[in-house]
Amino acid sequence: MMNLCIRFLRPLSPHSLLRRLKPYFSVFMMRFRIETQYRGAALGGIITQVFFGLMLIALYTTLYQSAPQTVPLAQTVTYVWLQQSCFRMLLSTDSELMQTVRTGGMAYEMCRPLSPYGFYYTRAMAQKLVGSTLRAVPMLLIAFLLPAPWGISLPAGVWQLGMFLLALFMGLLCTCAMSNIAMAFTIRSLDNSGITSAMNLLLVTFCGNLLPLTLFPDKWQKFIRLTPYAQLLDAPIRIYTGEYTFMQSIETIGIQVFWTCALIALGYFMWHRNQKHMIVQGG
Amino acid sequence: MDTIKLYLRSMKMLMRCQMEYPRSFLLNTLSQIIMQGGELFAVMLLIDRFQRIGQWQGKHILFFFGMMTITFYLVECFGRGISNFSPVVQSGALDTMLLRPRGILTQVCCYAVDPRRLGCIAIGIAALCTGSRACQIVWTLPKALLLLESIAGGFLLITALFMIEAVTCMHSVKSIEMVNVFTYGGRSTCQYPIDIYPGPLKIMFTVIAPFALTLHVPAAYILDMQILNLPGWAAFVTPLSGLVSFLIMYTVFQRSLKHYRSTGS
Repeated sequence: MMNLCIRFLRPLSPHSLLRRLKPYFSVFMMRFRIETQYRGAALGGIITQVFFGLMLIALYTTLYQSAPQTVPLAQTVTYVWLQQSCFRMLLSTDSELMQTVRTGGMAYEMCRPLSPYGFYYTRAMAQKLVGSTLRAVPMLLIAFLLPAPWGISLPAGVWQLGMFLLALFMGLLCTCAMSNIAMAFTIRSLDNSGITSAMNLLLVTFCGNLLPLTLFPDKWQKFIRLTPYAQLLDAPIRIYTGEYTFMQSIETIGIQVFWTCALIALGYFMWHRNQKHMIVQGG
Repeated sequence: MDTIKLYLRSMKMLMRCQMEYPRSFLLNTLSQIIMQGGELFAVMLLIDRFQRIGQWQGKHILFFFGMMTITFYLVECFGRGISNFSPVVQSGALDTMLLRPRGILTQVCCYAVDPRRLGCIAIGIAALCTGSRACQIVWTLPKALLLLESIAGGFLLITALFMIEAVTCMHSVKSIEMVNVFTYGGRSTCQYPIDIYPGPLKIMFTVIAPFALTLHVPAAYILDMQILNLPGWAAFVTPLSGLVSFLIMYTVFQRSLKHYRSTGS
């Protein structure tokens, strides 16, 4: 543990920092190129996701007719579209990781002069970024073109848009930290369906994908936005729809930064421990 | 009869294979319970906030949710070979099946089972029982038989919808995600009664993929409610649309088998 801290605190000049980050940037670019190859697969995904969006909006429209809510319908519709279009950011599995573990390729990974945590973190980031951008851009375009009750609303204001993008980026960093924790479990247990999938499934419910977090009971609102799951998409979306004042938005981004740092620290610690206890079998 | 015996036997064998890893099975089943439990949780929060959807109250919605969950995951569990067809083509297992003196569909159904889904089915049963309790349904023999008929019809319908994907798989090797609109989309849409949706969605899931006919009309009859302006006796006839869909897709499936070319692996 001591050793770990020292490695973190080693003084860095800007130049050496850049030099040390360069390989991660290359990993990112490599992955980025691989991911952009699957544009055809994205098309099928877009159609499915648009369908789910429309179905949910139809459902909420009927629900709102029988019981008007404090959260306006247009806001819920916007919430649904943003959630559906960024869905790929939340769930994505690195199928190669399991194979790397199974085949013993992990031993090679350890030989790289890079932190394996950072390596997989950057890979996850490229995968999530490309996967969601390829789907989100056309989907949001469709959502903007749809007529009034079905379409997405514009952001509440200019600063909200800027803050939204910043918060979305923080959400990306946070979700990558989460998937690295899941990977650490996978590497340990060699089973990617048990704990990992339980974690992912909690994520779908508590990040607001099944039901917007804004529609959770009013009593829960205070603490539900503090959970790590809410930092991924819920926080940016609430900024986008103008639910928060400027100060509240800053506070929200503060919470995001806190969770991102905490989850990265936890994940890094877990990977570090895994590395120490790793046994490579066979050849 | 022979086919059924064969199917049951392979199911038993496959189940025993999975039970060789009891810990993994338990963990997986648990995670499935969490998944479907999460869906149920979301539905309950929704009911809590809005109280009613159209003419339906929360207790009715639970009943619909339960019926859909049970039916859908029965297919995912016992028809896993069909609902996850692309590995059968990709691995070349289909080529082996073509050599054997048995029906292809039988063999595909015997190919895989997914016992983890029993967790989801359990959640479905729980929702159905809670809903039926809350609605104070008086269970008579016709109603019980209708429930079974409806689930059987739904089972055939969902199998038929997965067969669309299987057919496209035979042509393009990789499964096409778009077909999910009918299967997974149908599940999510039709866990709520059909009459709350606007026209196009209603038509899609009544005429094209008749979830409404196989599941919702009988459910409404059991709940003593009206749906789609159909007379009471209609509830006993409409689940047959599942059988019709299955027969249609069965013919298509057999035909496209003739055009199947091996992946060569």
